Amino acid sequence: MASAKEDPRTPENEPLTGEASTPPRPEVPIEPAADRWVKVWDLPIRVFHWMLVFLVAVNAFTGFLTPEWWLGVHNWSGYGLVALMIFRLVWGICGSEYSRVVSFIYPPRDTLEHLRGLLLLRPPHYVGHNPTGALMVFALAGVLIALVVTGLLVLGGEEKQGPLSAVTGYSVGFAAKQVHHWLTMLLLLMILGHIGGVVTESVLTHDNLVRAIITGWKKLPPAAPVPTPRPARPVLAVALLVVLAGGAVATLDWLSRRPPPHSLRTLPENATYTKECGACHYALNPSLLPAASWAALMTSLREHFGEDASLDAPTTSSLAAWLVGNAAETFDTESANRFRVVAPDDPYRVSSTPYWVRKHASVPPGVFARKSVRSKVNCHACHRDAESGRYDDQAIAIPEE
Amino acid sequence: MKGSHAMMVLMVILGLLAAADASADPRRDAILAELLAQAQKDEPGFARFSAERGAAFYRATHKGGKQGAASCTSCHGSTPQGKGQTRAGKAIEPMAVSKNPARYTNKDDVEKWFTRNCNDVLGRACTVKEKGDFLTYMMGQ
Repeated sequence: MASAKEDPRTPENEPLTGEASTPPRPEVPIEPAADRWVKVWDLPIRVFHWMLVFLVAVNAFTGFLTPEWWLGVHNWSGYGLVALMIFRLVWGICGSEYSRVVSFIYPPRDTLEHLRGLLLLRPPHYVGHNPTGALMVFALAGVLIALVVTGLLVLGGEEKQGPLSAVTGYSVGFAAKQVHHWLTMLLLLMILGHIGGVVTESVLTHDNLVRAIITGWKKLPPAAPVPTPRPARPVLAVALLVVLAGGAVATLDWLSRRPPPHSLRTLPENATYTKECGACHYALNPSLLPAASWAALMTSLREHFGEDASLDAPTTSSLAAWLVGNAAETFDTESANRFRVVAPDDPYRVSSTPYWVRKHASVPPGVFARKSVRSKVNCHACHRDAESGRYDDQAIAIPEE
Repeated sequence: MKGSHAMMVLMVILGLLAAADASADPRRDAILAELLAQAQKDEPGFARFSAERGAAFYRATHKGGKQGAASCTSCHGSTPQGKGQTRAGKAIEPMAVSKNPARYTNKDDVEKWFTRNCNDVLGRACTVKEKGDFLTYMMGQ
């Protein structure tokens, strides 16, 4: 856009923008060959669009490709999406003409007309969002909101983190995860549809829409009337943003003051357990095995994983009662819910449970032989919060040696 | 005052004892004495336990035990002064009393570990003589 010929900010074009200072000069005849330019996307909406692209990319990257301990990045880019959508709502009211939501709400007749035009390869021209594109905008917003809500439910229910952790159980989080997965697939398809739409429109109207969302300027077809756009109301926008941001902060603060996360119990240390079981191996949080496994394990201490670990009767029965009383069934953490399902042929070994095997399949066997790990029972070598039984994704750190 | 005088004398004696042998512990002596009484009851004329026999027992490769646990040294390390390691990767503090003065001061613990480890390494309970020899060896280390 460096050449003078291409520069949209020629006096001829200025009047078409909402930011123009010179009045329109309709009297001046326009040469048919000359392009007329109109400023469609204001700077805030362009920044919004590309930040949305960036954050969706970060969310997809950390959701599909990175290991568990990137969950924190996924969460923060999800919160970033919330901030962007709050901004979009405000700018949908206070932005300049084509950013305003009311400017792209069309009656069904217009939408059908536009779709028909698309099929005939000569869609009617719109300066801002066309009716089909507007449908996509609303659909994208709906899917993104649904993704944020289900994401917060997964975070609260499964991970016991985030603003909904106090009110969301594991089963809700687990169900929300299935929906979250399907929504991501839907979003990917919609992104493809959006890009396809942009390419189609660009080809059919001979106007580069990608350039438009970078520079903000669009070419007006020769016959199209010159629009009179409404300017943005930045002061109102800032005021609304302050109110909404304040409300969001207050809501998060109120939620974080709620009682401890649903069914997440903190177990006081049992000195006998630490001494007797911890003498030979890392003393696992009792929530990692179901009651039936603990009960059976405590009656067979003479043959405990190939060793004699027998204890006197009073110690055995007091430990058995404590372990059964704090078994997986009494916790709502993800690990407790998962490890309730044990391997039928090896019901005492957490590292034989189907979930454990699946979650550690990508860990190279050499890791378990490292000096700081040595055994699969040493959960705390990599899970820094193993003591509590939480096993947060972000608390995983595989030692180098 | 008589009471405080006696207390001071006691403290001086305790201090001297501590200086003489930091690792001495009456509870450990009592455990050994009880084993000796039992050995003398089983074998009239039995004089004393042997640290040499205890050392040989510690290092010997035994039969009848479980796989991977043929000797005390399998888990406790080749010398009583060094640390050992359990199969689950947990460090075992040294067996030698000089390195680990807390060893063999709780009768129940001593009995518990002899019961477990003799079963694992020998496939049977240890005799009173084996236990006494072992303890005598470790107390001199």
